[in-house]
Amino acid sequence: MASPSPIPYDRRSSRASSTAGQPASDLLVVGGPPNSPSPLELFLRASNLPSSKTRISKIPPDLHMLEYVSSCDTNLICLICHSPFDKPVKLACDHYFCRDCLDHAFEVQPDGHKTCPTCRGRVDTDTGVLPVPKILEKMLDELVVKCPNTKSGCTWVDSRVNVNDHVMLYCEYTLVECPSHECRLPIFQKEFHKGCLHYTLSCEHCHTSLMKKDLEVGYITQRHQKTHCSNRFTACPHCDAEVLRLDLKVHVNDSCPKMVIPCPGTILGCHFTAERTEVIKHENACPMATMAPHFRDQQARIERNEARFEPLARKVGILEDGLSNITNMLYPANPNDSSFPVTNPLDPNHSDAFPPAPLIPTPDFRLPPASFPPVPPTNDQSQTPFNNPSQPPFDSQVHHLLTLHDSLRDEVSRIANALTDLEGRTNMMIINENQRVKDEMLHTNAAINSMRMQLHWLMSATLHQRTSNSTGTSTARAGGSTSSNSNGNGRAQGASGASTSLGARAEASGTLHAPMRRLSDSTRQDTKL
Amino acid sequence: MSAGAKKRIMREYGECINDTPPGMKINFDEQNMTEWEILLDGPEQSVYSGGHFKLKISFPTEYPFKPPVVSFKTKIYHPNVSNDDKGSMCLGMLRPEEWKPPNKVVSVLRLVHSLLIEPNPDDAIEPSIANEFKENRKEFDKTAKDWVKRYAK
Ligand SMILES: [Zn+2]
Ligand SMILES: [Zn+2]
Ligand SMILES: [Zn+2]
Ligand SMILES: [Zn+2]
Ligand SMILES: [Zn+2]
Ligand SMILES: [Zn+2]
Ligand SMILES: [Zn+2]
Repeated sequence: MASPSPIPYDRRSSRASSTAGQPASDLLVVGGPPNSPSPLELFLRASNLPSSKTRISKIPPDLHMLEYVSSCDTNLICLICHSPFDKPVKLACDHYFCRDCLDHAFEVQPDGHKTCPTCRGRVDTDTGVLPVPKILEKMLDELVVKCPNTKSGCTWVDSRVNVNDHVMLYCEYTLVECPSHECRLPIFQKEFHKGCLHYTLSCEHCHTSLMKKDLEVGYITQRHQKTHCSNRFTACPHCDAEVLRLDLKVHVNDSCPKMVIPCPGTILGCHFTAERTEVIKHENACPMATMAPHFRDQQARIERNEARFEPLARKVGILEDGLSNITNMLYPANPNDSSFPVTNPLDPNHSDAFPPAPLIPTPDFRLPPASFPPVPPTNDQSQTPFNNPSQPPFDSQVHHLLTLHDSLRDEVSRIANALTDLEGRTNMMIINENQRVKDEMLHTNAAINSMRMQLHWLMSATLHQRTSNSTGTSTARAGGSTSSNSNGNGRAQGASGASTSLGARAEASGTLHAPMRRLSDSTRQDTKL
Repeated sequence: MSAGAKKRIMREYGECINDTPPGMKINFDEQNMTEWEILLDGPEQSVYSGGHFKLKISFPTEYPFKPPVVSFKTKIYHPNVSNDDKGSMCLGMLRPEEWKPPNKVVSVLRLVHSLLIEPNPDDAIEPSIANEFKENRKEFDKTAKDWVKRYAK
């Protein structure tokens, strides 16, 4: 008997021996086996005391589940389970079944009326179930099967007749119950003598937490250090390089010289595919490979732009939606005006929300009629081009409103300028007018003065005449006295009575002339100022 | 369902792949191996030609001691298929009293195939359709073809 026999239960000594003898001494114990049993476990142990000897009991293999190495004769196959017979029996009608399969078939049939599953012939369960010929049993025994624990790592392959003994006695991969009373988890038979291995360890290389039992054995793929540990060296499957498992992927993807890869110009149509070293040689000659990075750059840029376009389009849609809502609020009278399309950009059915420019003409957004007074045409050259009525329709309502706002503001500032201008001109006009009136008044004053002087002269002349008449002197004497009494002005008086007033006026103007000219000179200077 | 029965269904699936009747395809899900989905093209020589039918075969827990249940998921005008939302087909070996554990799914598939070519009006589940099939074959063919166009394209 080669199998390790279960040793008596002694956790501490078995633990000590197992840790001393194992090669993986670089493992740190994190948890350790449970030391004090919980009350529940104590109860379970107490209730199971009589059966404690059967703790390592194993389950015998089910022959129906076995994997057969070679396909077997169809005559050896049970028609119910479709696998080679297990403990076959024969019915009186010469039909063969596994003992268990027949029992299952009888189970669903009414009592006292059991029939053959194949031919429905009546079967007497006491006498009608017969043993099969020895030759048949012999053939079945010689069928070659695999150990049912093949998946766990057992490589045993032998005749079916031996499988029960193998599994129940020798197979190291048969699951038994853990030797620890507190644990009771299943463990492989070959681990049994090592004591409880159901505690957590941390791998020193990669710090993965593992069950001790998985590190000990287990079927091959469970062996962490050989196949999973990322910090252990492993051979590259393509070249001979030894790399950390952690770096294996990077090695294979980026540097393994034996890895078969396509030319980088694949995206441009180069079909060259070879080992990396060959591809590097090819790259220098391949024009598509040299173009590939630029091409990829462009592609990435296009993708970036498209990604950026997406949220913008959505934003525009939301804005348009909001604007149409506002417009509806402002002009509830004609919300259905066909000249004012109100679209819901969030509606997926409404593909017109973002029409592709060349396919569908830009929607014509016009304000409802008479909503705003038309912008009067101005001569202002600095006017924004949007105000030009011959411009094509605006591509969005926001734009349109903004434009309108701009033009209105321009208009207002223009009017303000005009007003200031006008005010200045008015002021100047008033000042000029005042000056003119002042001049006029001066002229009038001068004229009044001269008239007063004339009047004065006439008056005095008249008075003088009257006085001389009343005194009764002769005209000659009066004339002689007048010339002697009057001052230098009266010298011309002797010429004629009719020309007297004219001469007096000329005299007066002669005396008044100088001051008047002076006056006008000064007013002229005032005007200039 | 016992492990033995599951093993048998697995083995039967293996047999079916190699021996499927013409125009049939089995969708087998290992997670739910008791429900098979069958895609079936109407046989050339039948009135169902050109149609694509979907069937379901479900295995009861007592399989193979109880028969599998066959139902048409696609509507079909046929005397042996119930004209309701179940579309069940229940005749011959599919009847519980007729079923024998040694019967195989492959033979069930063959039965379905042959029934599409030649319906069995004497074991009908829809007597009115069976009657029409027997007495006014022209009208039956017309309706069956019409249903293929309407439901089985
Ligand atoms: Zn059997
Ligand atoms: Zn029989
Ligand atoms: Zn084994
Ligand atoms: Zn344990
Ligand atoms: Zn590790
Ligand atoms: Zn490599
Ligand atoms: Zn290339």
